[in-house]
Amino acid sequence: MTPSPPDRGMGVPPAAAVVAGVGALFFVLPLAGLVWRAPWSSLAAELGAPEVRQALWLSLVCSAWATALSVAFGVPLAWVLARGQFPGRRLLRALTTLPMVLPPVVGGVALLLAFGRRGLAGQWLDAWFGIRLPFTTAGAVLAATFVAMPFLVLTAEAGFRSADRRLEEAARTLGARPGAVFRRVTLPLVRPSLAAGAVLAWARALGEFGATITFAGNFPGETQTMPLKVYLLLETRPEAAIVLSLVLLTVSLAVLVGLRSRWLGSA
Amino acid sequence: MTAGRLRARIALDRGELHLDVALDIAIGATVAVLGPNGAGKTTLLRALAGLHRIAHGQVVLDGEVLEDAAAGVHLPPEARPVGLVFQDHLLFPHLSAVENVAFGLRCRGAGRAAAHRQAAEWLARVGLGDRLNARPGQLSGGQAQRVALARALATEPRLLLLDEPLAALDASTRVEVRRQLRRHLESFPGVRLLVTHDPVEAIALADRLVVLEGGRVVQAGTAGEVTARPRSRYVADLVGVNLYPATAAGDRVVLAGGAVLHAPGAGTGDVFARVHPRAVSLHRRRPEGTPRNVWAGRAEGLDLEGDRVRVQVGGAVPIVAEVTPAAVADLGLGDGGEVWVSLKAAEIDVYPA
Repeated sequence: MTPSPPDRGMGVPPAAAVVAGVGALFFVLPLAGLVWRAPWSSLAAELGAPEVRQALWLSLVCSAWATALSVAFGVPLAWVLARGQFPGRRLLRALTTLPMVLPPVVGGVALLLAFGRRGLAGQWLDAWFGIRLPFTTAGAVLAATFVAMPFLVLTAEAGFRSADRRLEEAARTLGARPGAVFRRVTLPLVRPSLAAGAVLAWARALGEFGATITFAGNFPGETQTMPLKVYLLLETRPEAAIVLSLVLLTVSLAVLVGLRSRWLGSA
Repeated sequence: MTAGRLRARIALDRGELHLDVALDIAIGATVAVLGPNGAGKTTLLRALAGLHRIAHGQVVLDGEVLEDAAAGVHLPPEARPVGLVFQDHLLFPHLSAVENVAFGLRCRGAGRAAAHRQAAEWLARVGLGDRLNARPGQLSGGQAQRVALARALATEPRLLLLDEPLAALDASTRVEVRRQLRRHLESFPGVRLLVTHDPVEAIALADRLVVLEGGRVVQAGTAGEVTARPRSRYVADLVGVNLYPATAAGDRVVLAGGAVLHAPGAGTGDVFARVHPRAVSLHRRRPEGTPRNVWAGRAEGLDLEGDRVRVQVGGAVPIVAEVTPAAVADLGLGDGGEVWVSLKAAEIDVYPA
């Protein structure tokens, strides 16, 4: 008997292949539609239009801020979730990932009730510091952070969990105080997870629509980010909407492909 | 006084393990803690390094109190002059070999350049001067072990702990690495303590053995002392002798199971009775003549030991006998037959428990 060649995966039944093909088409067709209707000749002109550039720039600013805030608060939060032993940890983890499944509009409403002028925290922010978040760029950043941070927390927590804690013990025996252990051993170990989480969070912030329009409104140059602009342009200048959509699509695709090969391992 | 010594009593509970160990080791000595898996060897090392807090006892190294449970003193690991070489080395994967060795120096306040220079010297000392920039993933097991050793030694500890230093290496490199390790250990001017489950490793590297079983020291001494008079089933199995806890009564010893062996001058009190397998004779029929200790048993297992065969004989006194392969055939032991065991009284070595 000759040994059989190694399996290249199980044989796919034809029926399953057909259904899978339909499923794949479901994802491919909308993208093909975008590419098909894209005004390729006027692409540069559309992108160069002042209102489009304004939305692009605002989106970049807001998503960058949202990513920075997610890292600043999400990394310690992820560390506490991964390493802390305290009652309510599971509940806290569920709460921090809630925005991933919550309809963004509901998130926006919740943000209004919390940070609105008469909101739970908002009234004090206004009374004590004169800070009003709704319908400002800061509000748009807040909305984007709300939906983006869970991606960072989730990814970073997995990183902290999988980091070999004995390496931290080895660092202690070599004379590193806990702070130095975190800075010089733990952080470098989880850096790939943090990078992946930050990129995911940034991509999510870039695409945020529902929470932004609910909490921050739709003011050109202040809170009107790219997704909002796309929605608006669809009524007036569909070609411009398609161009902006293409930009967002390209960014998302690049992020996913890049993450797959660089950090998540190619599958 | 504890100047020039490690003096420790370490008692702590971790799950199933109840560890209670006293150690007294002079600087310049190498002690191996030998014991089966789960005996508490690694826990002992981790407690000495400060990674476990002890419940009772104290750790005093060269006059410095590292831990005193009663007084609430517990120096954290980073404040102890203790180097620990972990079983699987635990090199930092994101740092090169020289950065790994420099890590401890940097933590102790050395500048980047000075730490790098010293680390390079240490690596040269362990024969890795040409592998400074290698990542841990690019090193062989033996090389990784030497980097881990250099990393621990670079902080100039006064107590060096090694956890199963050769266990992570494959058999082909073990002999060479063991020889080098012994040389490096000898040049280290402090207390050296290693734990292992491998008696060969313990005997090859250490001056004294401490046998740990179930969290307790069951035996301590030089390799010769420990192997000549085993005091536990574990050591007896390592050495390959029969050992029976017994009560001596004049010229007889009463085994724990109630069987009686004749042993002239056994004395009185709790004793161990040691019988070498070579001193045990097996017969097809009840033997005639001088031996006082004769009983019937059943051959239950055979093991090849060099050019001899070890026969496990079950019965009133379970015993291992060593015979020639020819005798195995003559006695028909292959199919687990009944067999008579005889043992000369003079071959039983009796010593106080």
